[in-house]
Amino acid sequence: MKLVPLLIGSVLGLGAGAVSALFMAGMIGSGVRLSGAVDVDGWQSDWTIGSVAANPWTRARVARHGLLALTRKEAVYFTKATDEGGRSLTEACTYRVSGAGMPALWWSLTLYDGTSYLPRNTDNALSYDLTKATAEGDADAWSFTVSQTAPAEGAWVSSKAAGAFDLTLRLYKPSPDLIENPNATLIAPRIERISCGGQ
Amino acid sequence: MIMRNVLTGLAAFVVTFAIAHFVVLNALPGKIMSKVRDGMMERGLPVNAWQMTPRTSPENQAVVRPAPDLAYAICLVDLSEGPVELTASAWPDYGSLSVFSASTDNVYAGSLDARVADTPDVRHVIVAMEGQDVGNADGADIVRVNKPDAFALIRRLAPSQDAYEAAKDLVPGSQCGPL
Repeated sequence: MKLVPLLIGSVLGLGAGAVSALFMAGMIGSGVRLSGAVDVDGWQSDWTIGSVAANPWTRARVARHGLLALTRKEAVYFTKATDEGGRSLTEACTYRVSGAGMPALWWSLTLYDGTSYLPRNTDNALSYDLTKATAEGDADAWSFTVSQTAPAEGAWVSSKAAGAFDLTLRLYKPSPDLIENPNATLIAPRIERISCGGQ
Repeated sequence: MIMRNVLTGLAAFVVTFAIAHFVVLNALPGKIMSKVRDGMMERGLPVNAWQMTPRTSPENQAVVRPAPDLAYAICLVDLSEGPVELTASAWPDYGSLSVFSASTDNVYAGSLDARVADTPDVRHVIVAMEGQDVGNADGADIVRVNKPDAFALIRRLAPSQDAYEAAKDLVPGSQCGPL
């Protein structure tokens, strides 16, 4: 008689354990952050990404959503999926993203869809970076539009076919100050919702 | 009797939950890396040789979250026959040479950015498994990994087609091969 509850408990435990691992790793859903978390005005990162110090949850989540990520000495990655009002980013809306100089040798902002891939459009407007900010005249005060169609003027990142999306900020060769004290060092880019559904 | 059965089932659930959770969690990175590697080999990527990837676009994303501003060169490192030697030239803008273990850890990253102090004209790295003889390393950086499969990646900032072509031109002169 003891065998029946043992068997039922074991089968349920194996299934639930495997599913919970897939969930934590982001194989189902977006994954769960358990440690090493850095949050600068809603831009989230994890200083253990890519390193042997990463816990098994972080390592699995990065393998799914950021394979071949570099350690923080070479690059750090921040992601944000909401605007300044806390609303999820969606291709149905138009946004203005603006920021200041970044504490790194080179930086870029790239739009990814809900599956962590570049959206399937042919607009050739997938990212904005230091090169473009410099070309536009001021790397310390830059802005661009995120929308489904190109704006009348200014820099543009296309959200066409992205659905719900996020923006990833890459900072290559980050300054030691940023690693030491991210909240005091990084002036986080702002994501302001301008309009939705053509309104 | 019922209480005893409930407790037995609960104990079995907790123990097997923990085992399954950590077995799956620890296996995932290696499985994902292995799947990516197999996919690249199926698409004709050679082992122990640098291969320039096409300019990143929505149609040709081999891994999640590629950076469209970077030019990538990949080498699928196989250490089963011995250490592998990597070389890569400096680049006038941001660039790096990195090595990843089979479990996805970034075990090495060296700058290729000529503007950064101490960046050599040609970066020289030897990748070897624990215990493999690397001989006279000749000033190369030595990277040790536990499993024979590893992954080397060159990133060079190339936001334009011209910059991409310039990065591509450097690849034939770079080395990824047996020591």
